[in-house]
Amino acid sequence: MNLAVDFDAFPRRPRILIVEDEAMLAFALEEFLTDAEFEISGVAGRLENALAMIEIGGFDAAILDANLAGVSAGPAAAALRTRGLPFLVLSGYMASQHHVDFVGAVCLQKPCPSDHVVRTLLSLLPGGGGRTVS
Amino acid sequence: MAKRPSDPPPPVNPLARSTLLAENAGLRTRLEEAEDTLRAIRSGEVDAFVVESAAGLQVYNLQGQDADANRIRGEMLAQVSDAVIAVDDQTHITYVNAAAERLYAATASQCLGRAVSDIYQALWPTPQDQAAETAALAERGEWRGERVHLTHDGRELSVELGVTVLRDSCGRPAGRLAVIRDVAERKRHENRVLVSEIRYRRLFEAANDGVLIIDPQTRKIIEANPFMTRLLGYTHGQLIGKELYQIGLLKDEAASQEMVRMLQWTSQVRYDDLPLKTRDGRHQDVEVVANLYDENDRPVIQCNIRDITGRKRSEAHVGMLMAEVNHRAKNLLAVVQVVASQTVKHGDPATFAARFSERIGSLAAGQDLLVNNQWKGVEVSELVEAQLAHFKDLFGTRVLLLGPPAQLTAGAAQGIGMALHELATNAAKYGALSDGAGRVHITWQVTADPEPGFAMSWLEEAGPRVAAPGRAGFGQVVIGRIAEASVQGRAEVNYEETGLSWRLSTSSSNVLIDTENRSL
Repeated sequence: MNLAVDFDAFPRRPRILIVEDEAMLAFALEEFLTDAEFEISGVAGRLENALAMIEIGGFDAAILDANLAGVSAGPAAAALRTRGLPFLVLSGYMASQHHVDFVGAVCLQKPCPSDHVVRTLLSLLPGGGGRTVS
Repeated sequence: MAKRPSDPPPPVNPLARSTLLAENAGLRTRLEEAEDTLRAIRSGEVDAFVVESAAGLQVYNLQGQDADANRIRGEMLAQVSDAVIAVDDQTHITYVNAAAERLYAATASQCLGRAVSDIYQALWPTPQDQAAETAALAERGEWRGERVHLTHDGRELSVELGVTVLRDSCGRPAGRLAVIRDVAERKRHENRVLVSEIRYRRLFEAANDGVLIIDPQTRKIIEANPFMTRLLGYTHGQLIGKELYQIGLLKDEAASQEMVRMLQWTSQVRYDDLPLKTRDGRHQDVEVVANLYDENDRPVIQCNIRDITGRKRSEAHVGMLMAEVNHRAKNLLAVVQVVASQTVKHGDPATFAARFSERIGSLAAGQDLLVNNQWKGVEVSELVEAQLAHFKDLFGTRVLLLGPPAQLTAGAAQGIGMALHELATNAAKYGALSDGAGRVHITWQVTADPEPGFAMSWLEEAGPRVAAPGRAGFGQVVIGRIAEASVQGRAEVNYEETGLSWRLSTSSSNVLIDTENRSL
């Protein structure tokens, strides 16, 4: 299956905000999302950076780690909801352990295959990011 | 005081032997007469008898009811288990019953007519006690108390006795009647009870569990130990007379009644986890075990109350740790996943297994340090030593460490650790550690100006000539942008001809443990 963005259906590359404190994972997410024709609007490793970037905007969806250097990313989830921006939670926690702000959110557990992350992200974007989601 | 009692009969002085023999014979005759008389009185053969005394002739009427009463009295005295001894006004023994014979180890015939001090000697604890007895007998005609009798055969008896003044028909004192009970057994028992009472009282007072004793009839607290006061904040006085629901232990009166009702059926009721509020409003978790016991035919409820706040806190802490360990483990697996895919992407397939396992080894070394430190951080020098363990023979000669004590957070330790691993691998392959001459200086500083900062550098010298690598491999990514992201700082790599240099700098608050509160 071709996971690249279909530009005929989606006029520009979907822009993604990555909120992840684990540098290695942030790097890998950035790399494979770029490979899958997404654009990375920014990478935040701390809650305050994430909140600042959400405030500025300029992205279509976000990937959110639930825990940022020992601090819950709950406020970032709340800020995204306020702005009506879709996001997926990618964390090592089980859904039952999540902060109340993540209730009802789309959650993926680490470790997670990269194509699964891409598919889930596309399903959150308006019009499936211009692609059919299988 | 009378002479010390000795075995009856007393030692015989040979000189007075003949006098004594004559006196003995007289006494025996009188005794036999007296016994005959007593027998006659007891069997009701005598109607009355006349006694000659200084006051004149006294007639004692034994007829009718008086005679019966006397006989019955005599029978009773013979039967009672207490020792009964009567003395005349000269303290000579006029009567002993069977129990007295046994208690003092002297037969009635040995005792009768003898001074009572020949049989036993009374010991008073203090002279005042003796005076008190004398006064009581003079004023009221009777005295009750306890004292020690030293017997003629050398035994010390703890006795309880009642002494009554016997009066003749004109009301004059004519002797005394003593009813004596050996209380040695009772004393021993009392002592055992006292010791037991002290012992269990101490347990009760010192217990680190609350204990309440409750009357099942009224459901009110009748006793509470000091721990209850510490647990709930009520004084002992405030606890006594209250029902359990009134001290926040059960939610209402109905619950109190239900507990007592259940106890009648099961003898034990257990509440594993009761939330209760202390007097000052603190929340307290307790475990309550109530038992119904019989206390000398009187039912009582004993409630043991254990403060489980600490246990619950510890359980919650363990749960939190388990969740945290799970989270970290999965994060680490995700990192391993990235390392694997990156190692495949950038490396020679022939060396994949070796490169991959080296990188996993580096991650594992970092984990060991964190676990040894209870995830509280990693000392920089320990991190360097762990990541360069392959080169420990070169430490101090070709690998030179210089820096102050500093504790890195878990995240910073992982990023810097992996960077050190990649730098060391590169140095061993192409740089200062690839031949016999080069050196590596690893230094770090904690700076105060212009703002609190942390800087670390890896400087190679005297190795082979260096050239920048043609294409960026995963190693470069690790020492570059991954190191930067993990410390939220800057990484700078220079491939100078004299050797590679790597410099990392950031704000110290991003990487160092604040010894006050930041733990992870």
